[in-house]
Amino acid sequence: MKTLLRCLAPVALAATGACFATSNDVKLLQGQVDSLRIASVRADSVHAAQLNQVIATLGLVRDSLGTVSGHVEKLQGDVRGDLHDVNEQLLQIQQLTGQSQNRLQELRASIEQRNQDAGESAPPTGTQPAKGATAAPSTASPAPGAPGSNEPGPNQLYQLGMEQLQRGSPSTAVQAFQKLLQDYSTADIAPEAQFYLGEAYRAQGNAAAADTAYSLVIQKYPKSPHAPTALYKRALYLEQQGNATAARALLNQLISSYPQSDEAALARDHLRDLK
Amino acid sequence: MLETQRLIIGAALVSACLAMPARANAQQQDTTRGVRIGLTYQPGTKPGVVVFPVSGPDGDSIQAMVQRDFDYGDRIEVIGGDAVQQTARTQASKNAIDFTIWKSLSAAAVVQISVMGSTAHVNVYDVAAKKLAAAHDVTVSGAPNSEEWRMSVHAMSDQIEQWITGVHGIAATRILYVRGNRIYVIDSDGFGEHAVSGPGTVLAPAWAPDGHTIAFSELARAGWNVVLRDLTTGREHTVSSTPGGLNITPAFSPDGQWLCYAHGEENGTDLYMVSASGSGAARRVTVGRGTDNVSPTFSPDGARLAFTSGRAGHPEVYTSDADGSNVDLLTPFNFGDQNYRSNPDWSPDGRLIAFQSQLDGRFQIMTITLRDRTVKQLTSEGINEDPTWAPDGRHLAFTSSRTGVKEIFVLDAESGRARQLTHDAGARLAAWSRGTGAP
Repeated sequence: MKTLLRCLAPVALAATGACFATSNDVKLLQGQVDSLRIASVRADSVHAAQLNQVIATLGLVRDSLGTVSGHVEKLQGDVRGDLHDVNEQLLQIQQLTGQSQNRLQELRASIEQRNQDAGESAPPTGTQPAKGATAAPSTASPAPGAPGSNEPGPNQLYQLGMEQLQRGSPSTAVQAFQKLLQDYSTADIAPEAQFYLGEAYRAQGNAAAADTAYSLVIQKYPKSPHAPTALYKRALYLEQQGNATAARALLNQLISSYPQSDEAALARDHLRDLK
Repeated sequence: MLETQRLIIGAALVSACLAMPARANAQQQDTTRGVRIGLTYQPGTKPGVVVFPVSGPDGDSIQAMVQRDFDYGDRIEVIGGDAVQQTARTQASKNAIDFTIWKSLSAAAVVQISVMGSTAHVNVYDVAAKKLAAAHDVTVSGAPNSEEWRMSVHAMSDQIEQWITGVHGIAATRILYVRGNRIYVIDSDGFGEHAVSGPGTVLAPAWAPDGHTIAFSELARAGWNVVLRDLTTGREHTVSSTPGGLNITPAFSPDGQWLCYAHGEENGTDLYMVSASGSGAARRVTVGRGTDNVSPTFSPDGARLAFTSGRAGHPEVYTSDADGSNVDLLTPFNFGDQNYRSNPDWSPDGRLIAFQSQLDGRFQIMTITLRDRTVKQLTSEGINEDPTWAPDGRHLAFTSSRTGVKEIFVLDAESGRARQLTHDAGARLAAWSRGTGAP
């Protein structure tokens, strides 16, 4: 055992000898540690200052963005409001235009009436030629609705049809609209007459004839404002007849052909319910 | 002697009746014949009628009611007064009608009623022809002064009015209105007022054509519901086709098959059509695109609708076909005009639509003709709103503040004569029952 201890003693001494340092070494080491600590603290404070600056800058940016966002939102609101106003004004103009059209229609009818009255009260053409003028032989009668004609013009017929329809005499209205379409098929008012011929038939309870009249609106006057209405009415009629497939096809045609119309919106609703 | 006595009585009666309003347009030469008994009277004037004292139980009440019904109907001028009644009593007791006296008072007809049990025998005499023109038995049922009894007397008045003028009266009709949070019903003569809705906030009552079913809006937890109530049984049920949100301003189609009402959610309010039972899917009939579309009213044939829409930026009255197509602006306005027009009601004869129109911030009742869109202002005193037509297409009930508080008034659109129907503050939103009971 003693022998063993004697052998290990020099080994232990050699092993621990490396751990002993001089006091200078320790001081040097402490100085280096202090320097490092100071440098670290300085770096931290610089970073903190930089971070504060970044945070302040970010705050400024955020405030600016908030202000800009507020401006943008206000602008959007203003634009939306302006657009809404413009839309309303457009609608008002459209509706007032519609009313003006009605008044113009009445005016046209009364002009035709006056022309007709003038024709009736004037002496027959050629009976009293103007002094010095050569009396031209009257071979052709004046065009219907024109001065001198005894035939009612298209606007008179339309006005008559509408009045009869509104006062509950659809049979007379049908006759007026039919005569208009027969005698003045190219008149501006023909699409309206074709549509209201359908309405008059409907008021008579003649749904099949109404459907035919509506189909002619779609076929002959697809650009008429009444075309989507006629399509919708045809679809409803076919649905009532139990032909849901054909009704669905017409509703789809209405949506694709006149997507902005009120009737298209009704058709979209209706398609959801149609079985 | 007899002749002298007759002349004296006649002179006394003429003197007594001098205070009566003179016949309008008395100088007109044309005459019009009543439909049933051929009485002749001048158009634009009201035929003078003498109602003899009614014999039988509650005769005085019946006579007073018939005279009042004629007066409120505005088509007959009741010739009354003590002297007239005394003479009538004398003639009735002798069972001898002296037509000369009544002719001197410009009477066109004499009405004589005798009641036996539940039957009233009505004689209508043509004064000009000096003969009996119509004789009918009419049932007067129910206990005296009960609701049933009063309605049967009103119905008799209406029938007599038809015999004399050719037009059925409107006495046997009723009017719904809202006061506070409840719906009330009142007879057209202002009697018999009683509540017909329970506790709860209600609005916008409407009659079904059957005369005993009503629809109204009621505030519930999930919003406003449309409720149908049978006044006979008291049974109620809610229209469930569009649950939640706003369900207001119901109106029945003239055939009673359909109910149209406004349903609103966040994206505006549109009109919907549903079967009158309130069941089944509701079909949208307006395309408001985010605006409010409310207060529908049907044309008499049920083919068209009029309603209030804000689609032009402010409320105006529009018409459309009942399927929702063919929309047309009805009420004229100037570009930029911020006054608005709303709450239409289609007249039973189909010629006119009554509506309320803002004039300098105050509503007034107006009508517009469908044929040429001529607008006529009917009121000017106070604020007048929510018109509803009587079944005769001549009278209108509406809310008026002319007394300082809201009350229901009745207006004769032809003569401009108005009378106050309700006498408790806060009455509004009147709805006149549909049928006249005319055969």
